[in-house]
Amino acid sequence: MPPSKLNRAGVAAVSSVAGFAFVLLAHTAGHRTPTAPGQSMSGPAAATAPPSQGQASPGPAATTTTPATGAPAAGGLASAVGQNEQYGYGVLSVKVTVSGRRIVDVSVATLQTAEQYSQSLAQQVIPMLRHEVLSAQTTQVYAVSGATYTSEAYLYSAQSALDKLHV
Amino acid sequence: MALAADVVRAEPVMGTVVSFHVFAGRCRRDKTEAAVDEACRELHRLEAIFSTWVADSPMSRLRAGRIGLDQLPPEIPAVLDLCRRAKDLSGGWFDPWAMPGGVDPTGLVKGWAVEQAIGILREAGVGAALANGGGDIALFGHPPDAPNWRVGVRHPWRSNAFACVLEVSSAIATSGPYERGLHLIDPHDGSRAQRSASATVIGPSLALADALATAVAVGAREALRVISGLEGYGAYWIGPDGSEEATSGFNRALHRAG
Repeated sequence: MPPSKLNRAGVAAVSSVAGFAFVLLAHTAGHRTPTAPGQSMSGPAAATAPPSQGQASPGPAATTTTPATGAPAAGGLASAVGQNEQYGYGVLSVKVTVSGRRIVDVSVATLQTAEQYSQSLAQQVIPMLRHEVLSAQTTQVYAVSGATYTSEAYLYSAQSALDKLHV
Repeated sequence: MALAADVVRAEPVMGTVVSFHVFAGRCRRDKTEAAVDEACRELHRLEAIFSTWVADSPMSRLRAGRIGLDQLPPEIPAVLDLCRRAKDLSGGWFDPWAMPGGVDPTGLVKGWAVEQAIGILREAGVGAALANGGGDIALFGHPPDAPNWRVGVRHPWRSNAFACVLEVSSAIATSGPYERGLHLIDPHDGSRAQRSASATVIGPSLALADALATAVAVGAREALRVISGLEGYGAYWIGPDGSEEATSGFNRALHRAG
């Protein structure tokens, strides 16, 4: 059941097909309609969550970007550091840089960990986080490639939302 | 918002849902609808041949040794030939003959079936079409307002986010444990494979991309190295700890945001 998988992953922002559709529309509409900088950043509050329970391997826990409210000057670069988040192996905060209404970079602002392993783990996780935020905000897709969902799980999939949006 | 396709269809078949997005181009609307109908009928026909869940399907009877070679529908030897090819190309990481319960082409046959369905739409003369078989996608042409079909690769730990976005010209397949658990078997020792969070392969053929994605999901970095040597194919792997690796062929297809 994907919704419960989402809850376990600790992702609070978007947990339904309707929610996904909203984010997709908000992102794409952002190109054309003026929105406040804070709004355009609220959708892709990115989290890299741990694998669902039952998987053997350890994974990165939630790292959440919570952009501060400082509004950038129109067209200029501005950045904000989110609040510290517990992410399983330590405490992490993420810095988001915006140009106008668009997120242009995501990086680790602070990282406190006890182990060397966690340091290297965070280095590996952040590239994924960067892909995710940038792509989700600025692209328009027709389909999602992923591990095969069952016909029941399809109802909760991003593909299902795309199919509905295009009918 | 991506331009809405002329015909969108979501067909439950093969234990999943196959989504079609079709731009008619110069093809008449009713002819386009009829071609999607025919593609869906073909998917159901192929499911009836290959299902290993249905005890009396030709594939199940072959696995049980209860069908003569002369009675086999021609689709089965064609798919097994492709399986042999995929086994060679993957350096043995995809091996339907090493599965418990007899030869099992499951890792390739869904991609192959979706490829047959998209072939029907191409022959019908529609302008552009995309078929997504539960996450494995075959397509041709491009939307009228864009030079390529754009496809997101699902983030392994978030069902509503992308790990990356690609410009796809033919086929893309992804394998991973996040939808149906650790279902893949390592052909070398029969154990349940757990070295990957996600494995994606792009290339000209969805049948082969499907099988090779399974291979990378099982063989992780070792299989990725094998794929990196294949002309026309690209692969992207995410490990259980969030680490990532991609071949140069894959990186060339990445959509650059902005």
